[in-house]
Amino acid sequence: MTLREFLSDRLGRIALQLICTGLAALFLLATGTQPGVLALLLLALLPVFVTVQAVSFLRQCARLRELETILNTLDRKYLFMECVPPPGNLYERRLFDLTRRAGRAMTGAVSDAKAAQREYREYVERWVHEIKAPVTAARLICRDLNGNTRRKLIVELAQIEAHVERALFYARAENPEQDCLFRQVNMGDIAAEAIENHRPLLVQSGVRLETDGLDCTVCTDEKWAVFILGQLLQNAARYRGAEPVISISARACGKQTQLIVQDNGIGIPAHELSRVSDRGFTGSNGRARGGSTGMGLYLCKKLASFLDLGLHIVSQEGEGTTVTLTFPAKENLTKL
Amino acid sequence: MPRIMIIEDDPAIREELTLLLENEGYIPLPVTGFDDIPEQAARKRPDLILLDIGLPGKDGFSLCAALRRTFPTPVIFVTSRDTGVDEVRALSLGGDDYITKPYSVPVLLARIRAVLRRSSDDPGPADTAEAGGLHLNLRKGVVSANGNTAELTRNELQILACLMSHAGQIVSRADLIDALWDNQIYIDDNTLSVNMTRLRGKLAEIGLSDAIRTRRGMGYQL
Repeated sequence: MTLREFLSDRLGRIALQLICTGLAALFLLATGTQPGVLALLLLALLPVFVTVQAVSFLRQCARLRELETILNTLDRKYLFMECVPPPGNLYERRLFDLTRRAGRAMTGAVSDAKAAQREYREYVERWVHEIKAPVTAARLICRDLNGNTRRKLIVELAQIEAHVERALFYARAENPEQDCLFRQVNMGDIAAEAIENHRPLLVQSGVRLETDGLDCTVCTDEKWAVFILGQLLQNAARYRGAEPVISISARACGKQTQLIVQDNGIGIPAHELSRVSDRGFTGSNGRARGGSTGMGLYLCKKLASFLDLGLHIVSQEGEGTTVTLTFPAKENLTKL
Repeated sequence: MPRIMIIEDDPAIREELTLLLENEGYIPLPVTGFDDIPEQAARKRPDLILLDIGLPGKDGFSLCAALRRTFPTPVIFVTSRDTGVDEVRALSLGGDDYITKPYSVPVLLARIRAVLRRSSDDPGPADTAEAGGLHLNLRKGVVSANGNTAELTRNELQILACLMSHAGQIVSRADLIDALWDNQIYIDDNTLSVNMTRLRGKLAEIGLSDAIRTRRGMGYQL
């Protein structure tokens, strides 16, 4: 609060005081008080007025600074009213009480919403585990069918699994630390598992997969890394061109390790590239082919940032897309 | 024949697993009452236990620990819980492997074979195969017939091994691609054709020019 703001706020009161003082002076003059005495009186009153206003200004400044500090140090800012000392004067105390009651109502609403969100997440996770049982049974039943029907059904089942898995990881991405386990993982194992998970789609798409240099280890959460790589493989298979080839390779880059997924698919238009990992963004390719959820890369970005992975996408329309995942150096992971 | 105990509360999965394992030449031992599993296991003496984690009123983790205290039977966890935390916990409680649902049938069977092999000192699949007048050394990647030998690449070796293990039967191109992907050779239809031509060339060199017949519209036959 600046002095100017303070004065303009107090303008009415100061003006009233000046008018009253002026009227009192006129009255005194009219009733025969000597002008000299009057001037003396006004001179004596002036410092009193100024001092009162100055003290009031300084106290307000100090109080605001105190409140500001409290707010800044608070982790959950909506608990502000519970943490500030109550004011001295009656009117402010009443205002303070009202705000505090409103604040409490909001705190209640916030914690209800949090509980509802947690319950929903738990429900989604339970649902995902339950849906896996019939899908497993369906897969087992499939093996009695003849070749072509079985393959088609397995592709569809794999699509169900991919959707279910995205739902699960979407629920998990809210509190990633709960399920995360960092350990040394072989890059080849991550790739083999991701490929196996999406094998029906990849085989059906007629993709040739090349792997190179995957015999290295990184420190990460295996399941999450498999999920991210799986999303990239899904995209590469879905947005494929003629004679699709996907190459998965790893290379050391200083102390970091890069996993590069390259395809020769239809690519991403340059003006859409910056938005592909936005939530729900499907792009012209996604709309043209249908079945795009706009969630895959969004989840990848979210999970990657938690795993401290760099996710970098380069694409040339009609040429293909290259996604580079940069795994952090092992010693940098201590903060997690 | 190895006896495999199935501890799974979903009836559809339990039934299908029983059928599957039976077809694969195992003796399945499905469990339907979940109150006295250690006693049942002691009675039935399985060679391997497939254990679900989410059982009615029971926790597969503590069950595994209880089973592990009494006998050395290997345990494979088969579960829909898929976090790394669960997996580490399962393996640290004495589980031999951890498979997440939904699994693909070949993966499940391969892991069962691997665990049984580890526990029974079985030397594993033979490293040689013989069929149709061909002798294949899988370890060296060498095929021989009539005293002539030819060296095969990894892809050619797996194609030939797959055909030899189904000697006399027609193997479709899709089945061949599946078998190659099982061995982490991720090829497409065109590459299969190229490899097939090369393989036939090598077989012709050792005097078996028509060992692999093409059955139009169906696949290949050795």
